[in-house]
Order: sequence, then structure tokens, then C-alpha cells
Amino acid sequence: MENQNIEREPSSMKNSQNKNNNFMIPLAIIIGGVIIAVSVIYSSGNSASNLRTAGVANIKESNTEPQRAESATINNIRPVTDKDHILGNPNAQVMVVEFSDLECPFCKSFHPTMQQLIDEYGKDGRVAWVYRHFPLDSIHSKARKEAEATECAGELGGNTKFWAYVDRLFEVTPSNNNLDLGELPNIAEFVGLDRTRFAQCLDSGKYAQHVADDLADATSSGGNGTPYSVVIAPNGKKFAISGAQPYASVKSVIDIALQEK
Amino acid sequence: MSSSMHSNFIQTILEAGQKVFSAPSYAITAVALAVAAFLFAVWLPNIGLVTDVFTHSSAPIGEKLRLAVTLLGGIRTNFSFLSATYTILIALLFGMNIAMIAYYLKQRVPVLRRENFFAGIFGIASGVLGVGCAACGSFILTTTLSFIGASGALALLPLKGGEFGILSVILLGASIYLISRKINDPLICPPR
Repeated sequence: MENQNIEREPSSMKNSQNKNNNFMIPLAIIIGGVIIAVSVIYSSGNSASNLRTAGVANIKESNTEPQRAESATINNIRPVTDKDHILGNPNAQVMVVEFSDLECPFCKSFHPTMQQLIDEYGKDGRVAWVYRHFPLDSIHSKARKEAEATECAGELGGNTKFWAYVDRLFEVTPSNNNLDLGELPNIAEFVGLDRTRFAQCLDSGKYAQHVADDLADATSSGGNGTPYSVVIAPNGKKFAISGAQPYASVKSVIDIALQEK
Repeated sequence: MSSSMHSNFIQTILEAGQKVFSAPSYAITAVALAVAAFLFAVWLPNIGLVTDVFTHSSAPIGEKLRLAVTLLGGIRTNFSFLSATYTILIALLFGMNIAMIAYYLKQRVPVLRRENFFAGIFGIASGVLGVGCAACGSFILTTTLSFIGASGALALLPLKGGEFGILSVILLGASIYLISRKINDPLICPPR
């Protein structure tokens, strides 16, 4: 039946149909290519280069996530000061500012990578690790409170206890928002802090603004996921590393940054 | 899918695959495209870093190449098992799909059905949405949804956007099956 119908079509119509169909394949490839190109330009625009600016990604519906800056560039990153949590030499040639979410499984797996980096480059003072908060509220609603907990640890026990608290929290959390917040005072006790004073600090919410400021810094400097690390070379040049990249890659970026004098 | 349908599906693709990939040029095309798609997916989260280092850093070229190569290790550290699996599958199916379409065109078979066209397009499109490192919140999809003000919707998905990667594998598989059926069709004129 179908063949009969085809037979009845005038030959000019068949030719035109065939031509249209032949156009479909190249068109499919072109459309696919365009989709890929637009997606890449749009998504990578927010990260990495210190020489480019990115488009606006306006997160309208979430009140807990900050509005992205008009042009999020790596150069917007807040300068490292003595108010930061720094592991290693505060005057190191290279600073690695890590924006991290305590409930992100990739931040958890990246934590030992950073520790290895400090073992290799931190002991002689060439590299230091700066920790800033980047809680992703839309997927990890507990991360913000946990970030505040680390700040309380810092207030009660100084920089050493801050880092000890972060280490322990990453050790015990199953990630993906699965840590019971009731564990936070236990972690404080484990690292040697006064449980009662820690709980008072945490309940006061006094570090909520500090965490919010770090988060705003992360997004305005191009972070669009965690972990997000900014490597600052001796000449001020900045390199962004997105995600939990292998140690060899981080080491490679550090070696490149150390040559930027 | 019943076992007979399943074996028919595999059989159709294997038959067409034998025809297409016995020619080295199509096999090479498929492998080259699959490798390119894989590199694209793994480098994507740090494409800015790679570009920046290669264009604006004074480091020796060896250092730059080392960075590009080591970043490929991100498939192990920066992807979940699920996302690494579908990223590799999407790359392979993408290479196969394009090579088979090229073979099909070369045979000068005039009619490519609409369903194959749309399966291929949506397969590639959903692959693009699902791809990207699995590091928290950094899927292309997140950016795309943010643009339309629906980033919170991602939290409702059980795989947080990984669904698009799986959908892509299914659609590309369907596209390959449809093109395989056309390739297996004998090139004869229908009886009058």
C-alpha cells in the first residue's frame, strides 16, 4: 500500500523529499555541534580564566543561594589576609584558596589531595592552603551550619583547632547531607574543645555572616561547584581548578604557578 | 524488553556494525570521535584552566602538556562511578553513531527516517546536559537550569541530573539501532 502511494507521487515531489531528508543528517550534526558549543561557552564562562569574564547565571528561585555577580571573574577573589584560615606559611610564594562544602563527597575526597600538597610543598614554605566556605544549600542544606561549626572551633581553639575540626568532620561525615548535626558537638569534643562553649557559639549563629561572605566570594570569583580552588602565583596570576582533580594535576598547576614570578 | 526483542536489537546492531567497521576508515572515524568526545567531557570542567595555561603561561610546553594529560585522571577522582560509566558510554556511542551515519550517507540511501534524526539529536543534546564533572553542583545542567530559574528542580531528581546522562545513552543506543536497521536493509528497488 505504501509502495503504491509512493508510486503515485510525482517524481518532482519525491526528489524534493529526498533532498530534504538528505539535509537532515548534516543538520542534525550542526545542531548537535551548536548545542555543545553554546553549552561549553556558557558553562565554562563562569570559571577558570583570569582574563575572561563570564555571563550572568541568575539563580532566581533559591533565596539561600547568592545571586551571581554581574561578571564573575577569578580576579574578584578576596585577597588573602590574616583573617583567613591558612595552613602553612602565610607568606608562601603560592597560595591555594580552596572553596569547599563540608557535605560534598568530592570535597571529602579532595581533602587528602590538599593535605598531600601541603606535605610536599608546605613544609619548606613554598605553598600554603587557605580554606573558605562554599556551602551548596540547594543540595546540602546542612553544610552551612557545619561551616559555622568550623568557625566556632577556630574561635575557641585557634587555627589549629579549626583545621583539626575540618579534618575530623570530613572523616566522620558520610557526605551528601547525611551527617547528623547532633554530631557537631561530639566532633568539637573529639578535637579537644569545650562542648558547652562550642554549643553556645554554634547556637548564637554569630558566624552565619562570615560563611555567607565566603560563599559570595566563591561565586563572584567564578566558582560554580565544589571543590573550587584558586591558585595564586607569586606574580598575582591566578589559576582556577574545578572539581576534585587528581594530585598530579594539582601538583602540575602548582609547578606552573611557582614559575610565574 | 523481552529476550527475543533484546537479541534482535543486538543482532541488528552487530550486523550493521560488521558492515560499517570492517572498513578501516569508519572504524578510525568512530574511535577518533569517541576519543574527542571523551577528552571534551573530562577537560570540560577545567577548559578555562587548560586554555589559560596554554595561552598565557610562561611555563615550558612539557609542563603544559603534563597538566593536560594528568587532568584526564579526573575521570577517576572527579566523576562518580555512574557518571564515569555514562560519560565513557556516551563518547563511544557518539563515535559509533556519527561513523554509521557517514557510512549510511555514503551508500547514497536517500531516506533517513525522522525517528533516527530525532533520536540522534536528543541523544547528543541530553548527553551535553548530563556531561560535566560530577563535582558538586557543576553540571552544565545546573547552569542551564539556573538560567531559566529552576536550579532547585535538580535537587528533586534522585540522581541530581545524572538522569540526563542515562537518557543520552538510551537515545544514542536507539539512534544506532535505527540506523543499523536502515544499513541492514537491502538496497533494492521495491516491486511495482
